[in-house]
Order: sequence, then structure tokens, then C-alpha cells
Amino acid sequence: MKRITAIVATLFSLVVVFPIFYTISASFFQYTDFTAIPARLLPTLPTISNYTRAFSESNLALFLSNSLFSALVGTAVRMTISIIGAYAFTFFTFRGKNLLFIIIVATMLLPTDALILENYTTIRALRLTDTYLGIISTTLLAPTHLFMLRQYFKTVSREYREAAVLEGCSDSRFLTTLLIPISQAVIITLAIHSFSTIFNDYLWPLLVTNRESMRTVQVGLTMLGFSENLDYGPQFAAITVLMTPILIIFIALHKPIQESVSSRFSGR
Amino acid sequence: MKLRYPNRIKPYLLIAPALFLAVLFSYRPFFLTLVNSFHTISLAGKRINFIGFDNYIRLFANPSFQASLSNTLRFTLFFVPTNIVICLSAALLSNRPGKLATLNQIFFFLPMAVGLSSTMMIVKMMFNPSIGIINQLLGLDIQWFNNRHAAMGLLVFAGVGLDIGLNFLLLISALRNVPSDLVEVATIEGASWSQTFRYLQAPMISSTLLFVVVTNIKDAMLISAPVMILTEGGPYRSTQTLVYQMYLEGFRSGNYAMGSTIATIVFALTFAILLLLLHLERRRVYYQ
Repeated sequence: MKRITAIVATLFSLVVVFPIFYTISASFFQYTDFTAIPARLLPTLPTISNYTRAFSESNLALFLSNSLFSALVGTAVRMTISIIGAYAFTFFTFRGKNLLFIIIVATMLLPTDALILENYTTIRALRLTDTYLGIISTTLLAPTHLFMLRQYFKTVSREYREAAVLEGCSDSRFLTTLLIPISQAVIITLAIHSFSTIFNDYLWPLLVTNRESMRTVQVGLTMLGFSENLDYGPQFAAITVLMTPILIIFIALHKPIQESVSSRFSGR
Repeated sequence: MKLRYPNRIKPYLLIAPALFLAVLFSYRPFFLTLVNSFHTISLAGKRINFIGFDNYIRLFANPSFQASLSNTLRFTLFFVPTNIVICLSAALLSNRPGKLATLNQIFFFLPMAVGLSSTMMIVKMMFNPSIGIINQLLGLDIQWFNNRHAAMGLLVFAGVGLDIGLNFLLLISALRNVPSDLVEVATIEGASWSQTFRYLQAPMISSTLLFVVVTNIKDAMLISAPVMILTEGGPYRSTQTLVYQMYLEGFRSGNYAMGSTIATIVFALTFAILLLLLHLERRRVYYQ
């Protein structure tokens, strides 16, 4: 029984991972490998010409840098806003605290995709179309992050802060030298999540960017001009370029990632 | 005791950015969308006059909208059970000790590393009827993009590919929290595999399972980007979904009022699902 489970699980997991394997393999295909009969799973003679073509015949590098830049800046701003917000909601008592917290966290209930019509109007009125600020604007508030950070900060004794304040420690110093370091694990997990959310966003960047030079890679990837002509090699190469760094991070960090999900949802 | 920072304004300043963004990009657009759905709107986006429920009446009589609504519901109906069965089996099968199991687990959550548009482009190319690997490898001759049923199936498959990583991770973490000695005792006492799942594991992972089901339903109701990249709503609108039609009406046809009306209906559907979640959570779920 145990052996059967292991075999079934392994076959199943191979099916799940097959598209990733095939994408990497096909990125080294020659043009004729795609039409070979019987179908090929591995390249006859691996070639890197797909990679050189992906970069030289499209703006992939530019799209990639647009995405990296907006995701990095977006993550930094988003984490800052979440951390200082969660800090205020955990360690301060003030009038309207609960109501304001609910107002911020309840934005979770409004699906962002259904808000794009009005948000686009806002961004256009602010003349922010085709700008980085326009791309990241609607992602800057992360109610889930604020909520989770507050849950975590609550486990930090309030006495720490009271003692620190009595000793003449400023809020910014308390945050940077104590609270952020001890919450490192949660903050890193949320930052990774933020980065991938902003990096992977599709619909919003599609709307707010018209100029090709401002396009993000998720949008640009679908308009490279290769797959439309059944020229799959460079398209698979572009996808491989995009996913490989993340695949490596995921494989290297599989333990902490699994643990962080486990602790996040068991409420510990 | 005199604190160094007795400042009363400080907490408000700290939460101001979050509050500002919540109002600017969530509440304001939400209320404007709601208001717009009861008006006629000019091409420049200005409200012209109040027309009550006329937009809704017109929308429900519109065959394109009827198609979107039924496609969205059908997609949800096919996608959610398929995805849950696949992700839950993956989690149950790989929830064992050993190196091979770890490898299985890594494979199951790797699709999470592939972004949305990459996933869709991979599916699009692999399922190309003439030179895609799937038809060739399996000796099939399915016109994935020209057949209504095949296109819907493809969308479901693509949706699973998109969600399996995270859902697997959530479910396996929940399964790991079921004390292994309990499972051992059950096995020694002669409980079958299905009994162990039904009476021991299922109740103990029920809150995670419910969370996964509800987020799946919500994601399925809101599906748009995969449709845009993969099928563009075709063939013959058979994969045109609500949010995709909202996008078409609002940005392609300049039919802003219709777009806002569809958006409002999407809000209503999402709220309904979230209320269902709250209701179920109160009644059914077993907490440790």
C-alpha cells in the first residue's frame, strides 16, 4: 500500500511538473523539433539561438526591467505602509481604532478586478497612465498584510514597547531595531508574496500602459510576436528566462516556504 | 508617568497612507461604480441622467451577458470540484515521510513559481492543435480553441495549473498539523484509508478546506486574464466571462454604463459568496 501510494504520487507529480519541464526543454529546440514526428520531448541538438532571438527580436529585456523596478518599489512601499499601519493598530490606543481597522481591512472584500473601470478613470485624471506610479498605485495597499502583521505584532509583549519608550527610545528606533528584526520571518514571507503579486499582475498593467516602453513583462510576454507565427522556440525561451529565477528560489527555500504557509494558516 | 510621545495625532499619521489608499482605490471606485450603474454615461465618462434599473434590465436581456453569466457559473461549477479533487489528492498522496515524498511535494507546488501570463502562454502553445505537444503526444485531434467544450475544458485545466501550487501548499500544511500518532493509531486499529480521511483528517483540515473552496469560488467567478490570453472569450463567446465582458464593454466598446453594471453584479456575487463562507464557518467547521 505504501509503495503504491509512492508510485501514484510520483507519477501524478511528474504530470503536474511536465509543462515546466517541457517549457525549459523546448526553449532549446530547433525550429524543426516542434514539427518532428513522433513528437520530441528533448531537443535533437540543444541550441541557445532561441534565447538570443528572444532578447534581440523583442523588447523582453526592457519589459523585464520595467517589471522588476515596479515590483521592487511597489513591495517596498507596500511593506512600509503595512508595517507602520499594523504598528499603530497594535501599540497605540486611539479613538476610532477598531472602526478604522475594519475600514482598511474590509477592502479585502472588494475584488480589485471589478474596480478597474473607476480606478482607470482616476489614474487617467491624475495623468499617471504610462508611469511606474500608475502601474503600482492600486497595489500599494495590502489589507491582508496589514492584518497578518498586526496578528504577529500582538504576540510581541506591549511591555517591550512601554519599556523602550520609557527608556527614551523613539518609535522609529523601536521599529527598526526591535520589532522588524524579530518579525523578520513574517515580513520576508509577506514581501516575497507582495513582490510576486505585483510582478505577476496582468490586467491592471495592461490597462494603464499604452506605450510599449512602459509595458511590464507579464503583458509584454503575450505580445512578443513569436507564438502568433507558431515560432515557439523564442517564446518558450522568454518564459524560461522569466520563471527560472523563481523556480530556483522555490526549490532552495521549499522548507521555509512550506513552514511559513503552515504557521500562517494554523493561526500560530 | 510621562511618555516621551504623548502625541495623539501620531497613530493617525501612521495609518493615514493605508486609509488614503483604501478610500482612493477601493471605496471611492466602489461607490462610483454602484452609482454609475443607475445612470446613462457619456463617452467621456460623465453621468448624464438617472435611469433606475434600466441598465440592469437591458443587461439581463442581452444575449452576450446571458452567455457571460452562464459561462462564468459553468466555469465555476467545473473548475472548483476539479481543482479541489486534484489538489487534495496531491496533498494526501504526498503527505508521507521520506525523500521521495519531499520531491513529490516540491513538484506539486512548483507551478506556483510560474506567473499567470507564462502559464497561459505555455498552455496556449502546448495545446496548439497542429504543433502543440499535447495533441501530438497523446495522438489526439482536438481543436482546443475552436470547440466550445474543449475550450471550456482547457480553461478549467489552465485554472488548475494556476492554482495548484498554493492550494496544495495550504492543504498539505493543514494535513501535517493532524497529529501523526492519531493517524497511526487509526491505522493500527484497522481503519481503512477512506475512514481515516473521512473521520479524522477531513474534520481536522476543514477550516483550511473551506478557505480553499471559497477562494476558489471567488477566483472562478472573477476569472478574466486567463480568458483574455488563452481564448479571448471564444469560440462563439463560449468562454466569455463576466469580468472579461466588463472589460470589453468598458474599454473596448466604450459602454461605460454597461461595464459598471456588470461590475456591480460581480460585487454582489462576491459578497454573496463571502456571506456563505461566514455562515458555513459558524455552523460546520471543527476547530482544534
